[in-house]
Order: sequence, then structure tokens, then C-alpha cells
Amino acid sequence: MGAAQRLTGYGILVVLGLIAVWLLVQQTRFNPAVGVALRVPLQGKSQAASGQTPSATAALIPEVSGFTPLAPSESFGPETLSDKIDGKAELYLSAGFKEMSCRKFGLDTAGKAYVEVFIYDMGSAQNAFAVFSGQRRPGSPSIPLTANAYATANAWFFTKGRFYVEIVADRASEALKSSLEAYATALLAKIPAEGEKTNEAALFPKEGLAPDTVRLCAADTFGCEGLSNMLTGEYSLKGGKATAFMARRDTPGQAQAEARRYLDFLAANGYQKVQTPGSPADLPVLVLDNSFEIVFVQESTMAGVHDATSREAALELAIKLKNELKGKP
Amino acid sequence: MTRPEDEEKLSTGELNRRDFLKRVGYASAVALGACGLGLALYDPKGPAPSEGEKALSGLGDYTSKALASGPGKMAIVRGTDRAAMVERGVKAVGGMESFIGKGDRVLIKVNAAFATPASLGATTHPEALAAVADLCFKAGAAQVLVTDNPINNPDSCFEITGIAGAARSSGARIIAPRAALFAPVSLPGGKLLQNWPVLAGVFQGVTKVIVVSPVKDHQRAGASMTLKNFYGFLGGRRNVFHQDINGIITELSQLLKPTLCVLDGTVSMMTNGPTGGSLSDLKDTGTLVVSTDPVAADAVGVELLGRTLADVPYILMAEKAGAGQADYHRLKPVLLDIRT
Repeated sequence: MGAAQRLTGYGILVVLGLIAVWLLVQQTRFNPAVGVALRVPLQGKSQAASGQTPSATAALIPEVSGFTPLAPSESFGPETLSDKIDGKAELYLSAGFKEMSCRKFGLDTAGKAYVEVFIYDMGSAQNAFAVFSGQRRPGSPSIPLTANAYATANAWFFTKGRFYVEIVADRASEALKSSLEAYATALLAKIPAEGEKTNEAALFPKEGLAPDTVRLCAADTFGCEGLSNMLTGEYSLKGGKATAFMARRDTPGQAQAEARRYLDFLAANGYQKVQTPGSPADLPVLVLDNSFEIVFVQESTMAGVHDATSREAALELAIKLKNELKGKP
Repeated sequence: MTRPEDEEKLSTGELNRRDFLKRVGYASAVALGACGLGLALYDPKGPAPSEGEKALSGLGDYTSKALASGPGKMAIVRGTDRAAMVERGVKAVGGMESFIGKGDRVLIKVNAAFATPASLGATTHPEALAAVADLCFKAGAAQVLVTDNPINNPDSCFEITGIAGAARSSGARIIAPRAALFAPVSLPGGKLLQNWPVLAGVFQGVTKVIVVSPVKDHQRAGASMTLKNFYGFLGGRRNVFHQDINGIITELSQLLKPTLCVLDGTVSMMTNGPTGGSLSDLKDTGTLVVSTDPVAADAVGVELLGRTLADVPYILMAEKAGAGQADYHRLKPVLLDIRT
């Protein structure tokens, strides 16, 4: 062996030795959890206190007569959202969350009610609809504020463009209702006008559809991992109840792959194909314990029927949905 | 088998076959030695918390000594008046005197996770807290402390929820989290809780622990009740545990054995938990549970939410880990109905 080779060998050993020493030193020092705990907890940026330029969403929160600010607005990004809504942050993060600002107000005209306003920038109108529809309170009436808006006894919820807004009071009263409406109108006026995305829910057959039930599931639809951005709508039909679903993909191949994945998921959970004489061959029905499923692909759209209470309801809705999707890209 | 041309290279060059084999042997010995050294130096417990500090292995066993050997106790009270329900429920399991003695220093763990008013049902109701604190003082407690680690502006959380007001009016003291109160905890055999900062400082001098929790839907965990309330002892970037929410709650169930649990399902958050926001998320479920067994208490809470144990996996996991009894009927609960 030459001197150069020997030298190279020693060099490698020295480098390995240095790495070993470095690892030993790091092991004794490394403890990120305790390090984090000993730092001042990360909290939402208090805009007024910090004196910095307000976040884009904080600047959209208006000051309205009668609403007395109880604290400066706070803003949260993807890294800090769980500091404000721990336990629910993932719902927003999985739907493309960008930023949220909120502010607390006292409302003198409604018996000193407490009101908190949240405005989420979800990055796109589709994402905003996903978090809006995913949390929609059943039975709460739509209101003509925006295309997607509803109110409950103490709160208003709506989207405009890429923004999702919650205005929440601690009580319910008629006086409060008109105050919340005034606040929502003022807030809407501050949100920049953007081209609203096409209403994809309009692709669902209208007959039997409960319009308030149309939802966009951002991730893991029906518990199937990876089945994302799926529109769903609930139906009451002659044959029973059923849920229609559809998801547009970039290519027919992608739609086929998604359909196969969902069918595999159903099979893994015990669903089995059932013979349905007289039904279209391209709409095979699967069943498990009186829950019926149909999955099909139309061009670049994966669609189908979920959890129908009868075979008749499943087929009726699937045929309507397929006809509705025909000729559409 | 070495080919003749290789044999020639080896025998005519600087390196013959014997030397080559020797060196392969040495290299293998060095490699094995390095692996052995690595194994010898491997520390399965992870890094030390910090210089001179030892990680705690838990937060303590605060079960009443008189009840420690017997089965757990439970009362399920139907009603609408939280104070009356707490009083009757505690009386039914033996009275606060059987849990709290003269001079006891009591820590009440509340859920003050969010800075939202009590009417929205996302936090421990101040009436339930006040009722428990009052009973503690009547039983002879020298001091009652109230705590939680809500992360986002604890002072706001305690004030806006009404918890601070209830504590003040009943003579209890709020302990807000601060850096000095956190210490690293490593749960023996735990996979997640290793050198994790926990609000252990609030337990200093504490002799009894009572957990007072609301009944809520929870987007990640399925439900947030007594055991999930323990999550509020965690510090650091605890949201990383949401990836294994059932695992972390199971480990938390082994970290602490409370003296008593009060699960307030007078009004339950049925949907959109844990934050809620709309009054329509809430339902009058008219039930309050007093139990020495946190697992059993949560098993009742699951029913209030209209779910089964299969919907909330951590309850059975906690039972398997020895934290309590998921079949709460085995505790022979005292059933009371104080609705007028």
C-alpha cells in the first residue's frame, strides 16, 4: 500500500472519529422539548402591541360603531394556528390555510355581549368553501350575504373569495342579530373583490338535494386516506337517503386511479359487489350491512353514491348524477 | 474462488492474498467494534433534560388512601343546576370529607383551553369549578389552586371563560403557567412522553388533585373529557402529538392518578369541537359525573355525545394501560335525578 493510500485511510478514520465525538457532544446537549418550554410561548402577534404593519387579514377587521375593541387584533400563521384553536387547527391546515386574524369586541347595544371576529385567508375560494362547508351547522338557514353564508342564533359564518369569516357572540338575541349583520356588512366591504370560483355544487342533480348539505371535503373523504377535494351532497329520494360525491381531476387517468383506490378501500372494509338485474353495467353496486355504494368515472370526474339506505336509492341517484355530468369537462 | 489473473495480481503486487484476508479481518473487526461501541453508548431514554436536572417519571398518585384498594366510586347525576349536581354527586360517593382532609392543598385542573365565554361550552364551566372549590374548603382544605396551560394568552383564557372569577369568588387561586413551572417528564415505558416539558411545578406541595372537565366533541380525538383534559399539563409544541392523539392521551392517563374527577355534561358540545362557536353546537345533556376513575367517567361522557367506545379509542387504550375501568357499570354508579 502506498503512502497516499495510507494517508487517505487515516484521513477517513479521523473524519469518522470527529463525527463520533460530535454526536456524543450533541447527544448530551440536545433537548428541544425542554428548550421550547423554557422559551416564552409562541403566541399570536398582537398587532397594536407590536406596532408592526398589520397582517393582511388583520387589516380587514373593521372597527364598527357600537363594537368596542377589548384587545388588539391577533394574527396566526400555519406554525402558530394551534396556539389559538388547538385541536381544530388541522382542519384548516389540511385545507390550505394561510393566515388568520381575530379580534374581541364588547357590544354595548346587546346587553354587553362579547363578540369575537375571525377571518381566515385560505388561499383560494375552494379552500374557503371546504372549511365553511365542513363545519356547517345542520339546519341553519342560508342568508343572502354571500353565495356561502349562514347564521345560527349567536353567530354568522360566510366566505368571500379566499376568505372564511366567523362572527361569534356569546349569546343570542334579536338586538344582537342586527348588530352582527351590520358588522358582517362592514367586514364584507373591506374584503377585496375577487373572481368567485364556479359553483361546482351546481353540478349535482337538484331533485332531492338538501342544498345546505353540500360540502367540500379537503382530505380523507369518508375515512379513505388520500381521497381529497371531494364534493358531497345529501339526498332524500323515493327509495331512501343517499349521499352523492364527485371530484374533478386533471385527467381521466387520475380519476380512474382515484376510483380504484376508493373501491379498494371499500373492499378492504368488507363491501362486496351485489348483482343488480337490469341496472347499467357501468354502475356496479357494492353493499355492506344495508349501506350501498356506487363508484364511477365520467371523463375526468370521479363520482358516485355513498351510504345509500337502499339499492334503489343508490341506483336512482347514480343514474341522475351520471346524466348530470355527461358532456361536462 | 479467485480467478488465476486475480491470483497473479494479488501475488505479484504489494498485496498478497494473506495480507488481503488479514486486512478484511481487521476492517470487519473495526466495523463490529464500532457497532458494539454504538450499542454500548446508545441511550434509549434520549438526551438528559438539562444539566443537573432529572426527568420526572410522573405527576403522582393522588387517589384517596381509604379508597385505593377498593373499586372506584361513581355517581351520575341528572339535573340542570351544576352546583346542586356537584354537591349531590360528591355526597353520593362518600362526601368531600372522604377525599379532602383538613389542611390539604388541592389542585383543580380545569379546561381553560380557549379564551371563549362559558356560554359557548368550550371550557370548564365556572359554576362547576366554584361548586367543587367550595366543597373542598368546607372539607377543610387549606388551599385550593386552579390551573391549566392554555398556550394562547392564559390570562385571557382564565378571565374570559369566567374561571378566574369563579376561583376568586370561592377563595381559590389561579396558577397561570410560566416557564419555571415546567419540568421534563419521561413516562417509564412511554413512547411519546420522553423528556417532555410538563406543568409539574404546580404540584409542589399539592396533596389532592381534582379534575373538572366539560364534555365536548373533538375533531382529532373524537371527544374531549377528563383524560383529554390532562393534555393541558403539557408544555412545548404539544400539537405534534395530534399525529398520535390516542397514544398521547393513553400515556397521559398513566402520568397522574387524580383524587376525584368531575365531568360536567350539563351542556355538551356535540359538534365542531373542541372550539365550537355556535350555540347550535351545544345540547342540554343534563348529566354530571363524579368519579374516582377518569376512564369510567369518560365512558359515561361518550354516551352523552351519542357515541361508542369504538369512536373514542383512547378510552379502551387507557383501560388497557391500567388507568381505570371503561365498563363504568362495574363501579355500580349511584344514579340520582334532581330535576324538579
